[in-house]
Amino acid sequence: MTIRIERTLRREGSEPERKRGDEDGPSKPGVDQPKAPNELLKRMRQIDPDKARKYRQRSGQ
Amino acid sequence: MWPILVGIETEYGLTVEGRGATEQVDDSMALVRESPDGRFVGWDYRFESPRADLRGYVVDRLNVDPEDARYDQGRHRAPDTDVRSDRVLANGARLYNDHGHPEYATPECWSLSELVLQDLAGEQFVARAAERLAEKAGRAVRVYKNNTDYHGASYGTHESYLVPRELGFERLYKSVVPILVARTVVCGAGKTGFESGEPCEYQISQRADFFAERAGVDTLYRRPVFNTRDEPHANPGEWIRLHVISGDANRMPAATARKCALVKLALWLEGTGHSLEWSLEQPERAMRAVSRDLTGNGRVQLAGSDWTTPRQIIESLGEAASRHLDAGYPGVAEALQHVQASIDIFDSLASDGELAARQVDWAAKLAMLRAFQEEDGLEWNDPACRSADLSFHCLDPEEDLFAALVECGMTDPLPRVADIEARMAKPQETNRALARSVAVSRFADSLKGVSWGKLTFEMDGKPKTVSLSPEKCYARDMESAGTVEDFIALLEEER
Repeated sequence: MTIRIERTLRREGSEPERKRGDEDGPSKPGVDQPKAPNELLKRMRQIDPDKARKYRQRSGQ
Repeated sequence: MWPILVGIETEYGLTVEGRGATEQVDDSMALVRESPDGRFVGWDYRFESPRADLRGYVVDRLNVDPEDARYDQGRHRAPDTDVRSDRVLANGARLYNDHGHPEYATPECWSLSELVLQDLAGEQFVARAAERLAEKAGRAVRVYKNNTDYHGASYGTHESYLVPRELGFERLYKSVVPILVARTVVCGAGKTGFESGEPCEYQISQRADFFAERAGVDTLYRRPVFNTRDEPHANPGEWIRLHVISGDANRMPAATARKCALVKLALWLEGTGHSLEWSLEQPERAMRAVSRDLTGNGRVQLAGSDWTTPRQIIESLGEAASRHLDAGYPGVAEALQHVQASIDIFDSLASDGELAARQVDWAAKLAMLRAFQEEDGLEWNDPACRSADLSFHCLDPEEDLFAALVECGMTDPLPRVADIEARMAKPQETNRALARSVAVSRFADSLKGVSWGKLTFEMDGKPKTVSLSPEKCYARDMESAGTVEDFIALLEEER
């Protein structure tokens, strides 16, 4: 698996940087993959893949 | 011991087609105003004190996120009460706009099973208001029960626990913080990627990246693991409202109950003089470490050179609670069941993770995303993964992937719809939320102000304020009171 890391590591305890959150980093998933029913896969494929990239919110509490 | 009154406040994510974060406050106001049940419009803010700190002082100001301050530059806002658009609902809940997020605060509950149903009632109120706003505006409106936009903005799901004033900051901090860190594994809602700290593909908590302090009164920026806001919503000489801001919004009802159960047990233990002896070095750092270890064994650094694990902390809570708390006291047995459920989840994570994926949000979502990746050849950095993550939290039936998991039988079943709708109509317990519910449902014409701890009526042209006791069992007779005078007399009756 190729992992793309474009963000600079931030000091722990610092505030998250805003508006640059599209990248991911390495980690090790620990839950086994289930057999997903076709209906669930169909529902996931119907989601606009850019939905989260466009999702912007104000900070709340 | 004392009956712990608990409430949950959830700030929902909100999108309106063709609009963005700059218009979010206006959109959130509009949504709240479309609530299908706003029995009483207004809120009595006289008893709120967000700048008061449990450590005995009042800060001059609360920090705000500089990014959000930019959204507001040059914009004229209506008076604060109009912006907040408070509604008191028939079930005694509060619905309002909080910094651009529709926020539903459940009526207070003694029992966790009741609290969970009231939290689900909130989902229904907010989702129905979104439908009405969409119809009115002619735009798609989506609400999300989550805590992040994945781009550095977070919004909270808070818990409130009423505890005796004598416990004070030091004892509360010591007893609760280890639990707030450890419970992440059995209550987290899960998040694709990271927004601060060590890079990761997926983590257990939505909120862990946002804690920058050990303790403090701020909630909008540089948030603390332990919030010290001193705003009791009850007699301040007797009560503290422990305001927990570190938890995630859960779609799974059992996870909602679990996160509160563990805190309740820690509070009862502290209140009976049986403190948990964990002293964490940097809880904000521990939150991130725990969140990033998908085996559930994230290292929790203790003061000095020792360290422990979330499981050991939860096990110690269960052992102490079993030994020292009266299992016959109302709520204790219910809470202890959630300790056992937590241990079962740790066991599951150490084996195949199957039970964890049925009972805790982050594990269910991780399993769902891994199946998606496997079937469609996606990697974690594919934007479709994060979008599926977001849709796990969407309350729109057409997009809601959590609902799809439930329908496919991949999680434990949800409570009956009839039980949730009953909670939308009125609270089922006889605590002070019942009094608030009756006041707004039957006597709104005489009401002038509502808050968590007080009702103010106008009687013969003069205000009359009645305090609502957090300990009192109110009489069901209130619901059939013939006049407001009769109702007030019942409120003031000693029981």
